[in-house]
Amino acid sequence: MAELWNTIILEPVLNSLIAMCTVLGGNFGLAIIVLTVIVRLILFPLTVRQTQSTKAMQSLQPRIQELQKKYAKSKEKLQQETMKLYKEAGINPLGCLWPMLIQLPIWIALYQSIMQALAATPENLLNLSQHLYSWAAVGQAVPLNEHFLWLRLSRPDPNLILAILVGGTMWVQQKMVTPPSADPRQKSMTSMTTMMMPLMFGFFTLSFPSGLALYWTVSNILGIIIQYFVSGGWGYLRTPSVPKQAPSQKTSLAQKPIPAEQQSKVLKRAAEQSKTIKQASSEEKKRRGLFGR
Amino acid sequence: MVNDVTGFFTIKIRKVLSLILSVIMLGLIAIGCGGPAHQGWSGFAGDDGILYFGSMDSRVLAIDPSARSQGLPFPSEGEWVLPIPTAGSPGAICGPACVPASPRAGIYATPVVIGDLVCVGTYAGDSGKLMAINRLAPGYAEGVPLRSKGEWAYPSGVQSIGAIVGSPVVVEDTLYVGTSEGEVYALGVVYGESNKWKQPFDTEGKIWTSPAIKDNVVYISNYAHKFFALSRIDGSLIWEIELPAAAASSPAVAGDDVFFGAFDNQLYAVDVTNGDVKWTFGGDNWFWSTPVVKDGVVYAGCLDNKIYALSASTGEELWQFTADGPIASTPVLVDNILVVASESGMVYMLKADSGKPEHDPVPVDASVKVPVKAPLYAEGNMVYVHASNRCVYCIDVQSGEKVWSFCYSEIE
Repeated sequence: MAELWNTIILEPVLNSLIAMCTVLGGNFGLAIIVLTVIVRLILFPLTVRQTQSTKAMQSLQPRIQELQKKYAKSKEKLQQETMKLYKEAGINPLGCLWPMLIQLPIWIALYQSIMQALAATPENLLNLSQHLYSWAAVGQAVPLNEHFLWLRLSRPDPNLILAILVGGTMWVQQKMVTPPSADPRQKSMTSMTTMMMPLMFGFFTLSFPSGLALYWTVSNILGIIIQYFVSGGWGYLRTPSVPKQAPSQKTSLAQKPIPAEQQSKVLKRAAEQSKTIKQASSEEKKRRGLFGR
Repeated sequence: MVNDVTGFFTIKIRKVLSLILSVIMLGLIAIGCGGPAHQGWSGFAGDDGILYFGSMDSRVLAIDPSARSQGLPFPSEGEWVLPIPTAGSPGAICGPACVPASPRAGIYATPVVIGDLVCVGTYAGDSGKLMAINRLAPGYAEGVPLRSKGEWAYPSGVQSIGAIVGSPVVVEDTLYVGTSEGEVYALGVVYGESNKWKQPFDTEGKIWTSPAIKDNVVYISNYAHKFFALSRIDGSLIWEIELPAAAASSPAVAGDDVFFGAFDNQLYAVDVTNGDVKWTFGGDNWFWSTPVVKDGVVYAGCLDNKIYALSASTGEELWQFTADGPIASTPVLVDNILVVASESGMVYMLKADSGKPEHDPVPVDASVKVPVKAPLYAEGNMVYVHASNRCVYCIDVQSGEKVWSFCYSEIE
């Protein structure tokens, strides 16, 4: 299994990364940035589908919250009604997961490639020999020049700059896609997740090779850019953490039953977003032909 | 009803999948980062019937082969073990897998014996130093040398000259070594002072290989694709050449040529007088181990699982032998038998003139069955193998069988 993974996924990415280093004048930092951009571009259609699918699901949140309130005592009924709602809106709840699952092996391969290519110890360098192609561009680049800007890519960044960049960009990206919640319990959990991940990765940056942190930073920045253009703005980044409530209202949006007219609007909007995804998908299929490329 | 059940499971699956993805990501980050930590692969230096080597657990050992063959308790007379202190690495912060602030020192360089001293180069991430230990009875205490026993450390205290991977070489009263900072040092062996050259020679590229010295010329390569010939006397540059790829192996000098392998899968023969490349020979992977040259034949182990015998003058292939794993360990010649160890733990004894196995059938007990990366060492008919399971094996070349083994990880 490991052999299959190495042959099909890891080695192509690893050798491309090293060959790119030669093309870019032996600058491995630049090679990490360029390959991350290329991979992001290749996966762009999947990212767009994922973002749109997530957005479509988020637009149904008021209705789902209402159902949660309504069927608080019957979990089974809640599941049934939730699924019915998704069905009416034409949304597959797993729709935003598949693009993520397809992307995951490529990200893991890129991650492993950076780690292996850096070959921080003599053992790492010796092990690298078993994963390289006999391309001239690969042989010329190894062992890689680990200096990039102020960094030594196989060592952690002794300053806090990279840790702040990794944590900051990750926080922005998460904040853009995490909707604020009115439920206090859910709200505290959401805000903890939004803070915990960036803090954790910021901490990892202090101990991991800076080449990896560079990849995280670039990947996050690209994620923010894609999110900005696909969702048409900064998303929930500018929204206050607690949704504003009208002072005169005694019940929150989640508590108050949504009028039938508003309900149909929400469903219509979600259905439109879902339709857009399907259209984009069928156009893609038409373009590729019956058997794909 | 079916739809309800499907819906229920869809939501459940979604939650489970999210959880699995998070666990995979965190798992990768926590354990998949640095790969194996450094261990070292020191070879042996022998003198007065004692073998000195750096262990894979930050220690220097002196073992007596005759005591080991008799199975006497360690240490017997002349034997000792000395821990190498942890070296500080400024700037790095301790993490779960990668570069701790004070990495454990490893020993890749084969020690050298100079009179009563045994000299060891250490590797600790970014830092390293040279330690001269009294080989009769070490006086080192917590990394501090005992001057009255002639011991020294270079540089002293917490200073570092960069990690040492290539082995030092001694000629007369001077020790030559390259460091990962890219500098070549010439140290006086009596006091461990860098007073032989005006200043260390800066190659401007990481050095993880050993120098080779002949006729007052030091030959050394760096990872910036350069190969240098320096005056042994004053460290001045005689010539330098730029290669298509960095040198992977340490050089070996014989006759008018210096031989070394590079990361472009080629073995190079370079003229010692002017640096002209005389010939190259291509393998299917790196020539990582130091070539062995004898009687006009170059024996070069390659990571493509093969050992090649080439004509030193033309580069023409005389024979090749395919092992069952990559050859990272430097082979050794015992009379006309070439002893080679592969990374899969097989030890081969080949006729130097034909590449055919010396023993037919191959003795069952010849293999050590664990990866071997350290250079082999021969004394008389015995070959000593430092294997990755932290054991030393002694193999009799005549019979082709293991005589004894000694696992130092059990020693306190």
